[in-house]
Amino acid sequence: MSDAENKSGTLLLVGVNHNTAPIEVRERLAISTARLADATRTLAHQPGIREAMILSTCNRVEFLIDHEASGDTGREAENSLILPRFVHEYFAVAPSSLAPHLYEFREREAIRHLFRVASSLDSMVVGEPQILGQVKQSWTVAREVGAVKSTLDPLLQRAFSVAKRVRSETQIGSSSVSIASVAVDLARKIFGSLSGKTVLIVGAGKMSDLAARHLIQQGARTLLVSNRTEQRAEKVAAALRTPEITTGVIPFAQLHAEAHRADIIVTSTGAGQIFTPQQAREILHRRRNRPMFFIDIAVPRDVDPAVNEVEGCFVYDIDDLQQVAAQNQASRSKEAEAAESIVSLEVERYQQRRSARPAVEAIKQLQLSAEALRQQELARTVARLAAEPLSEGQQAAVDALTKSLTAKLLHPQLATLRELNSGTEPEE
Amino acid sequence: MSLIWLRVAVLLYGIAALAVLPAALYNRQRWRHLAVPVALAGAFFHFVSITETFYAAHRALPVDTHETLSLLGLLLAVAFLLLAAKYRTMAFGIFLLPVTVLLTLVPAFHAGRETIAYPFAGPVWIFLHVALLLAAYAALLISLLASVLYFVQERNLKSKHASSGPASTMKLPPLETIDQIALKSLLFGLPCMTAGLFIGSVVALETVGPRFFADPKVLLSLAMWVAYMLMIFIRRHSGLRGRRAVYLSSFAFLFVLTVWAANQFSVVHRFKAP
Repeated sequence: MSDAENKSGTLLLVGVNHNTAPIEVRERLAISTARLADATRTLAHQPGIREAMILSTCNRVEFLIDHEASGDTGREAENSLILPRFVHEYFAVAPSSLAPHLYEFREREAIRHLFRVASSLDSMVVGEPQILGQVKQSWTVAREVGAVKSTLDPLLQRAFSVAKRVRSETQIGSSSVSIASVAVDLARKIFGSLSGKTVLIVGAGKMSDLAARHLIQQGARTLLVSNRTEQRAEKVAAALRTPEITTGVIPFAQLHAEAHRADIIVTSTGAGQIFTPQQAREILHRRRNRPMFFIDIAVPRDVDPAVNEVEGCFVYDIDDLQQVAAQNQASRSKEAEAAESIVSLEVERYQQRRSARPAVEAIKQLQLSAEALRQQELARTVARLAAEPLSEGQQAAVDALTKSLTAKLLHPQLATLRELNSGTEPEE
Repeated sequence: MSLIWLRVAVLLYGIAALAVLPAALYNRQRWRHLAVPVALAGAFFHFVSITETFYAAHRALPVDTHETLSLLGLLLAVAFLLLAAKYRTMAFGIFLLPVTVLLTLVPAFHAGRETIAYPFAGPVWIFLHVALLLAAYAALLISLLASVLYFVQERNLKSKHASSGPASTMKLPPLETIDQIALKSLLFGLPCMTAGLFIGSVVALETVGPRFFADPKVLLSLAMWVAYMLMIFIRRHSGLRGRRAVYLSSFAFLFVLTVWAANQFSVVHRFKAP
């Protein structure tokens, strides 16, 4: 797109994100959910702005506006100052301190950026699913305050469809990239739903506590804790107990005798190999060979790696989890290439539809006027013939005749409009 | 006309068998959306073909090996569709659909030569005998496939690699679900096999007499039932899974194939029309 085209555009997106601005800058612009409606309303009421939406997440703050277009260079310069002035006034941030971190996209590039953001291609963790919900939330707020209308509303709805298409046609969000979610994914591959599963925490460290909370969030309902210091185990169990979660303490001396009750064992003692292949076989035998998942986040490792060779036992240590997360990240990057192609295609389509809109409106208007004129003339003729009214068949014939005449008279104009719209020269 | 519907079904099964590969091996949703409806359409035309054949011949029984194979093919296609609907998995289709194509390909293009006559008993009992045993064979095949898939998924999880080849990118149901499929299909097959053999035995006893039970085919069938029972007992009692479950299921399946092949050596279980 040429500069000239850029300048005549009405869509403008300005923002900062994790790539362009450090957290110190982003936090000064961050808008809480409670203040989002007020900020959006204020922005939408700025002179020259027709529609507006604000997206504020931990990694980005973006302002999307549809402003009045003008061929006048002086007016355009004025328009380009709308957002910096709003930021300065609303956040009390000096424009000069923000300028090096801001990015600005107009028209086609603004559409592309919005589609990329909604599809999670511009996220810090590419493919993460939260961003789409955040964009939807911003859109809902903007709709509620009447800040999105005929331009931004269809654009945002298109962005959601594009994001959905990217999710369904690529594998961009199919694999986990954080260690905790990798562990949960693996547990799901073994057990399916985690609901009703029992988790045993061995060693009452912060990491295992975090892992247990993550597994509980995913549906595990029984939590056992075993620690050398029993009081500490009881404290952890009490902290995790809720009306829905049953917790219990296993004395460390009885760990091997009671471990068969657990489907998932999270170990973090760092006390050396407390689970050997022989012990794992005995535990499995007591479980009638139902699979077990060992998540060993201790260094040195608590579970002998050879336990993974025991049929029915799955052992993942911290390096394994990190390795899977890294592989998933790499696979996401590969999928992101396919997603970028989808976004490019969708931007083209949307842009075409946008530019076709005035012609479509003109065609619709022309057809409506012609039809109104036809109805008016028909009514007049019927009134004139009131003394000798036409039969139903004659009325239908006259109706068909006038319709046909109108269509034939309009055809050259409509064809010209359609051809002009599609970019080809009208036929002579 | 029924032959045309059967050929249409074979074509559709063929397309579904190809579409299921990218859907299952690379988890491509678009191919999944093609494979399932096409397989469903195949099963529909297959059903129409079988119904039309039976209706035209005024009978409710397969009268030759080809028709029996075709009926088994339909059962397998339906099993694939049920598994895809309930467990959202395409993996079973990798095996079930090509087997279905093979089982229907021959009857669709080559009429069966051997005509089975049913000189005794009511056709309903014989139909039940055939249909129940075919359902039991289908259930055993699904159990074998589930055991193989369990083994593949177990290897994937133990190898700790997120993506290295189709086997690891294959979207398989969780281990516990695959195990449930294996066990449930066995438990479904058991009453089918028991009832099928029981009906066959009672009918045979009434018509042929005790000499029927000296036939190798019949003896093998009874041994197959014992093996089937034994397999369920071992799986339930010791929670046998993974590699050893594959061995056990393969053994039982080989047994079934032997019983099927024993038709060729059987004197009393042939029922050839004059």
